[in-house]
Order: sequence, then structure tokens, then C-alpha cells
Amino acid sequence: MEKIKVKICQGTTCFVMGGEVIKSIHDTLVEKYADKIEIVPVRCLEVCHDADSFSQAPYVYVNDEVVSAATVDKVISVIESKLKNE
Amino acid sequence: MFIDVDCSQIKKFGQNAFGDYFVSKRSDKQERLIAVLSDGLGSGIKANILSCMTSTMLLRFIEEDIPIQKAAQTIMDSLPVCQIRKISYATFSAIDCRSDGNVWVVEEGNPTFLLIRNGEEIALEAKEYTSPKFPDRHLQLYQFKAEVGDRIIFCSDGVTQAGIGTKEYPLGLKREGFLQCVKKCVRDNPEISSTELSTQVIQKALSAEPLEHAGDDISCAVLYFRKPRKALIFTGPPYNKMKDREYCLSFECFAGKKAICGGTTANLVSRELRREIVNLSAVTSGNLPPVAAMEGVDLVTEGILTLTRAAEYLEKEELSHQDAAGQLVDFMLSSDIIEFMVGAMLNQAHYDPSLPIEIEVRRTIIKKIKKLLENKYFKQVVIHYM
Repeated sequence: MEKIKVKICQGTTCFVMGGEVIKSIHDTLVEKYADKIEIVPVRCLEVCHDADSFSQAPYVYVNDEVVSAATVDKVISVIESKLKNE
Repeated sequence: MFIDVDCSQIKKFGQNAFGDYFVSKRSDKQERLIAVLSDGLGSGIKANILSCMTSTMLLRFIEEDIPIQKAAQTIMDSLPVCQIRKISYATFSAIDCRSDGNVWVVEEGNPTFLLIRNGEEIALEAKEYTSPKFPDRHLQLYQFKAEVGDRIIFCSDGVTQAGIGTKEYPLGLKREGFLQCVKKCVRDNPEISSTELSTQVIQKALSAEPLEHAGDDISCAVLYFRKPRKALIFTGPPYNKMKDREYCLSFECFAGKKAICGGTTANLVSRELRREIVNLSAVTSGNLPPVAAMEGVDLVTEGILTLTRAAEYLEKEELSHQDAAGQLVDFMLSSDIIEFMVGAMLNQAHYDPSLPIEIEVRRTIIKKIKKLLENKYFKQVVIHYM
């Protein structure tokens, strides 16, 4: 099974809106799903440039799905629902 | 030719103000550098005021294109005489350098400066002028052409007289000790910066003093003529997307160190030059997004927050931080000429009123950094808006 890729935006807007805090899901999830997910902080996902179509920073990609106004809980629930469906 | 200039000083022991004063100024187009070192009579506040007035006035005269000899003579003839010591209130050395290498130096009362070329002292002939008003005041005027690699070193008598009366240096370090110290530093480190060389000279002088208590104000100013070290910082996407490739190619071709400040900018360069952004560390420090790496680029950071913090560090002279902004400060300070490629494209998301902090406009922060680098760190800064 391919790992679920979680990209956490560390661009300016996402960073000040809490993107830094979301990185803590690494500590929460890595033990539980070490072989199933890969968490990578990235320079900028450039989602905020298109603010009309997405609600708000911070943004996280879980595979191809954009999680907007992301929080640790929100991201974890998206990851877990994806794991369930697989 | 670029002139790396710096001055290091130590106050006379027990004093709370420097009695020596150093000023330097580069012209806007960088084709000229003027510097003056003055030693005020006595020490403390009185000496500080005298040397400050002398050096700033002389700098201003030379800057206004009054011939250096005439400017210096005017100061020499008008400096008052101390009622107690019966000598003039301040001594001075002034230098006027042009980018073509032409150099003029005037000295009155300070130890004779050193010209070091290929590790050896070059002896220079001086024209001497005596003040018509005060026959004990003599001015030496030197004119020569500096070459790449030359160093010109000035000091106050606090260096040459350091350790006077001690067993090791009964007559002080003297000019010979000053020269040997400079030659050793240059021999040990042929690329030594002006900051480092001037610091080592004053440390040597201080170590000659009994109990390392400076018996006088100690100053050393160094001018180092060298090929400029260049750096380029690419920040912000260009206004016209059609030009992304063109700008990325000119970034690629730049001969010098390179940095990218900005997530979108990094993505843009990565896309156009087909280079991956790697090693974004999961660890952040100092509340800033972490640095990343890209082949052929020396530093990749986030944009506005990092630049804002770097400006703060430069302003407060906090130069030892290890976070992304600290690394950016190191990157800039290790170069002589810093060029910025500033993209004019704005990211509307930065101006969302719901952001918890105010995000500065890129142009404003770059202008602030330019001012700090030029005025506080004597760097040459060029901004290209795109």
C-alpha cells in the first residue's frame, strides 16, 4: 500500500495562521501509523493565492485533498478517514 | 575595486566614552569613500566631543569637494589650544579614496598610517605643510594609487604607546610593534577582513597594557581594497508571469552567492530551473519557518517573516542567531555587494485582516534592509524591481 502523503504548508500565510502547530501531528501520528503515512512540511502549496476558491489558511494536502482552515484535529480526521477507506 | 572598511576601539580604562572618533562615508554611487579618525585631547566625554567635532567636520569638508589638503589645513589652523597642555585639542588622519584606486591621505599628529601590499609595508613620501598660525602643527599629505589586495591601516597613539613603561615595552608598542602585529595577522590569514584585523590590532595593544587596562583610548581603522564579494537575493514572484523564466535564468547566471527568500519564489525557481527543493527540516527555530536547500542556491528561506526578522537582527546588531533569519544575516554580512531581485507580485492572502500579525509589504522591508546594510554595515546594496 502506498503511504498517504501529508504536505503541511510553511508559506508565510499558513505559517502565521497556525501551519507551524500542525506539524505537531507528526509526533501524534508517526508512532501509530509510521508505515502508512508520510508527513512533509513544504515551502508553499500556493493555495492561498486563490483565496476565492478555498476558504482559509493554513492549508494541508492529504494526498490530493486540500484541507483548508486546517487544525490538528481536522487533519487527523481526514487522514484517518482515508486510512479507513483503503 | 571594493573597499572593506572598519574600525575597532577600546575606551581608556575607567572612562565611559570613547576619546577617539571614527567616521566613514561612501558616496551614493560608490565611486568614493572618505574616512576620518580623530583623537581628542585627554579622554572621556571632553575628548569624545573634540574628536567627534573634528572628524565629522573634516569628513563634511572633504565630502563637499574642498581639496583634502585645504580642508585639513583649515581644521589644523582653527583647532584651539588646550590651556593646560598648550597643544592642539585634537589630532586627525583623513583618507579620500576613489574607485579607480586614487588615494589621498592627510595626517596631523596621529601615528603614520601603514600601507601593506603583498604582506609588506610600502614606504611613501609625504609632502609636509606647517600651520602658519601654529608652527608646532604639521600636516603630512600623501597621494598614491592603491592596488587590489592593499590594506591601509590607521591607529591612534593608544596603539603605538600601549604598554609604555612596562618591562616588555618600555617605550610602548611603537610603530614597529603595530607594523609587526599587522604583518603577522595578514601572513596568518591573507584574506583577513577589516573587522577582524582591526580587532586583532586593538587586542594586541590591550594585551601590552599592565593588567590589560587601556592607558589611553585605543583605535585601529582598516581599509582593505579587494575584489567585491557579491550576493544575490531573489524574493517575490515577478509582476509579469511571462518573465519568470527570464528572471530565473539571470538568477542562475549570477556570479556570486545566491539566496531565495519566499515559498512561491522557491517554487518558481524550482519549476523554471527544474531543481528540487529539499531538506525542509521539520524543526523550526525562533518561530520562523525552517530553511530548505536547492542545488546551486546557498540559502532558501520563507519570505516576509524571515526578512522582517533579519532586519530586526541587523538593527539591533544581534548577529549570532542560528534561525533562518540569522542565517540570512550571515549570508548578507559575508558579502560586500548585495543585490536584491524583488518581485512586485503581491500575495493578497498576506493582507487578510484576520491574520494574527501584520505582514509588512516586501518593498518596504527590503528598503529598510538596504538602509541598514549601507549605513550600519557599510555594504553596497542594489535593488532590482521586477
